[in-house]
Amino acid sequence: MRRFVPFLAVAVTLFCMAGQSVAGDTIKVGFVDTYTGPATTFTNDVLDGFKMAAEKINAKGGVLGKKITWVTRDDKFKPDIGLTMAKELILKENVDLLVGTINSATALAVSDLAKKEKIPFFVTFSKSDKITGEKGHRYVFGMNENTEMAGRATAKALSKKKYVKYWIAGDDYEYGHAIANGVFNHLKTLNPKVQLLGQSWWKVGESDFTPYITQILAAKPDFVIVATGGGGMVNFQKAAQSTGFNRKVPFYQHTAIELSTLMPQGKNAPEGVYGTANYLFYYPNTKENKAFVEEFRKAYNRYPKSGALYGYMTAQFIAESFRKAGKIDREKFIDAMEGMKLASPVGGMEMRSCDHQVTLPMFFGVTKKSAQHDFLIAGEVVSVPGKEYMPSCAETTKGRAK
Amino acid sequence: MESVSNLFSTGTLSQILVGLSRTTILFIVSSGMSLILGVLRIPNVAHGSLYMIGAFAAWSVIQLLGGGLFAFLAAMIVAPLIVAAVGFVLERGFFSYLYEREHLMLLLLTFSFALILGDLVKIVWGPEYRSVTVPAFFQGSAEIFGLPLPWYNLFLLVVGPCIAAFLWLVINKTDLGKMARAAAVDGEMVGAVGINVGWIFAFTFVLGSFLAGLGGALIAPMVNISLGMDHSLIMETFLIVIIGGLGNMWGALLGSLIFGLTQSLGILVWPQFGIAFPYLAVVAVLVVRPRGLLSSTW
Amino acid sequence: MRRWRAPFALFVVMAALVALPHVVPRFHAYVAAIVLLTALLATSLNLAIGYTGIYQFGHAVFYGVGAYGTALTLTRTGMPAPVAFLVGPLAAAVLSLAMGMICIRLSKLYFGMLQISLGSLVWAVVYRWYSFTGGDDGIHGVPVPDAISSPKASYYFTLAVTALCVFAMHRIVRSPFGKVIQGIRDNPVRAAAIGVDVKRHQLAVLVIAGFFGGVAGSLFVVVENSVFPDMMFWTFSLEVLIMCLLGGMYSFFGPFVGASAIVLLRVFASVHTQYWGLILGTILTLVIIFLPDGVLGVVTRRPRAKGEPDA
Repeated sequence: MRRFVPFLAVAVTLFCMAGQSVAGDTIKVGFVDTYTGPATTFTNDVLDGFKMAAEKINAKGGVLGKKITWVTRDDKFKPDIGLTMAKELILKENVDLLVGTINSATALAVSDLAKKEKIPFFVTFSKSDKITGEKGHRYVFGMNENTEMAGRATAKALSKKKYVKYWIAGDDYEYGHAIANGVFNHLKTLNPKVQLLGQSWWKVGESDFTPYITQILAAKPDFVIVATGGGGMVNFQKAAQSTGFNRKVPFYQHTAIELSTLMPQGKNAPEGVYGTANYLFYYPNTKENKAFVEEFRKAYNRYPKSGALYGYMTAQFIAESFRKAGKIDREKFIDAMEGMKLASPVGGMEMRSCDHQVTLPMFFGVTKKSAQHDFLIAGEVVSVPGKEYMPSCAETTKGRAK
Repeated sequence: MESVSNLFSTGTLSQILVGLSRTTILFIVSSGMSLILGVLRIPNVAHGSLYMIGAFAAWSVIQLLGGGLFAFLAAMIVAPLIVAAVGFVLERGFFSYLYEREHLMLLLLTFSFALILGDLVKIVWGPEYRSVTVPAFFQGSAEIFGLPLPWYNLFLLVVGPCIAAFLWLVINKTDLGKMARAAAVDGEMVGAVGINVGWIFAFTFVLGSFLAGLGGALIAPMVNISLGMDHSLIMETFLIVIIGGLGNMWGALLGSLIFGLTQSLGILVWPQFGIAFPYLAVVAVLVVRPRGLLSSTW
Repeated sequence: MRRWRAPFALFVVMAALVALPHVVPRFHAYVAAIVLLTALLATSLNLAIGYTGIYQFGHAVFYGVGAYGTALTLTRTGMPAPVAFLVGPLAAAVLSLAMGMICIRLSKLYFGMLQISLGSLVWAVVYRWYSFTGGDDGIHGVPVPDAISSPKASYYFTLAVTALCVFAMHRIVRSPFGKVIQGIRDNPVRAAAIGVDVKRHQLAVLVIAGFFGGVAGSLFVVVENSVFPDMMFWTFSLEVLIMCLLGGMYSFFGPFVGASAIVLLRVFASVHTQYWGLILGTILTLVIIFLPDGVLGVVTRRPRAKGEPDA
């Protein structure tokens, strides 16, 4: 007890001294995301894409005369830290808006907080369909695709193919199951002839897939839906390459054709892997996309990945909505954003009023070697426009508490 | 639940082989842990960090030497040596002064080193993923009973017993090994007989670290080399050492076999829950044999 | 005069804690609530590890079960809040008893590892049972009664409950029962020799520790309105253990100090630097080197016979 009291006195004093931030004459955006560990390869792009757009906007005078500023907080991929950091941003840093995070559990928790605090929250990278679906509300906005969307787009593409016997495999967590179910359930409604032979689920972070691969090959399916998350993508592709899995059975992974998956493997990535992605720096080869890539490379010395698109468009939507609203008022801001259509490097994007989900095209392709690059790229790319695959408003808002 | 008849298909044999190659890595890393826990009585939470440093160091060596078979083999030797050096610094610089401390405080100490080493890795190598490709010599796979087994897995199947044999030689046939075993049982007596126990302990810790680094280097071509690696293996390693018997090499081997095989075979029996099988095995072992399967040095 | 020192100090501390939300920004009141409930959790763990010498390596599972119990009762059943706040800790206590009965035959390190394995199985069930527990997404927006849902109100509720529980644990530790369990910690053989039912006492401690750990979990639900499966993962168990060791496991308020230090460090340091691990690790190392029994240790360091095996 003797030592406890002085310690407590010091602690409480220091605690009280830690000051409160004052919101200045800026639009303050708070990022809560994972900036440690493997996820950074995705999240840094979101931040950099946002910064690129925001700096451009600021250079032209800002929004309604105010500059956009941002602060970041690292949630270390843990939901409880993410929630604490979000509270810190709202209660202490007094941010106007929140952006984040790649961890779906954290995104859902922060979304709930945003609803309570009535602060707009832009979700970047988390792919849970509950964010703008069942658990959506006025204050949350989805800036990227979710598992339901990816599943439907893929099901559309696969239903046109001749495969009948399917096998499902993936990372044993919510995202894995959501993607796998999303693809297969929709595939079944589009093509009732498909059958599910079996399933394999491994722990998140699994490194040795050989036992699962041998089991799958023994079952002889026509096609395999592999539902791996960010970290597992490269691991699985490496295993596929070394066992020749990709040459024996065609398989699909969401984000298999993305740069973040293919670049680390260099020329050794497996060919013939089907995948979907929201952004490819080389497709479509439009003026807008080329300009975007050029700008990003000049600023950050690397090719932009999907995250860059999400971050960039988040900044655009924020800026335009404030401009349309005419003043810095959160409720008017939200009203202005609903239904807004903006141009983007991949074409037009719309913020749906009913569920606050952004519409964007999905690209479906197959990995193949490239003469110009040291890594594989997607070939036979098919672009599925948002309207063709996204669930309807009625479907996403079903189950929402009012 | 997949039928148990799956267990008797041809796939089983190839699953067993795969499980065995998995056992190799587990064995190498846990034998290091077993040595440290058995002889030095330190629950080395930093063992996972050493394993991670081994993987990153292997990447660096391969980058430096430009890839290819020679670079790979060099990395397999240099990376563990680097980790052994780190272990030496930890032991001589910190642990050797603190052996008298409360057991659990040593756990706190190794935990704090795990934190420090984890951030040091971030500082030295940055937060991005690294990737090492399997050298061309080992790429592709062999067909065993119609199913593919990557050459690299076969390589691991060969390396495992070699390391086991090497360790057995060191521990049972060399003087240092005998002294280490004696020190594990009764450090004071060994000191009383005139042997410098401090150097025995240093040697043991360095050897344990070398093994952790070797495990990390060997697994580098198969996984994403990333900052979370230290957490992924540490729990499994502890459990293996506990069920095998502390300080017992054969125990580490047995524990690794149980872990590696129950998971590979569990997948055949119940694909959705294959990952739970090793933990069930641990519970079963500890309930039946509370002190581990084989004798421990404590 | 010396007899007045402790109660007076306690009074000052309590007064400061009660006044806190009125003096500091909202965010700090929230952090203080987290510190309090984490300190409660650490103190409950210390009943097992510091006072009874049980290697309780899987304590987080009771925290998690307490939290999930409360959250599930509030979201899935129509039962009133007080019931929910009882369900959580009771479930944790029952689980603690069940796990204890399986593990109690083992000693020290083995007990700890078996407890972790069992705890991991519980975690795995919660993690995978998406339809019931929300799986790895967790449960959010738990409807906590309005009276205690605002940051200030949740802080006061947490303060009240924590103070009550800590007081209860303090009474337990100072009671004859408390003396017996310390005797068991110091020398189980001798304790058995004088007729103490060692296992029965150890199980009792486990149930109590589990119960209060569950209370801490329920408080988390009040403050955060969410639960996550990570709450019962072994890495968090280790973190709570570290809090006890850091603060000093042989003193009653040691875990309090450890919990405060780690929570505060984690919240405020990680705002300013990404090398939080390095800082915490360095601080811990310094504490171990210079303060062998933790920050508040030293006062009641138990004597150890020379050469006693540390198994």
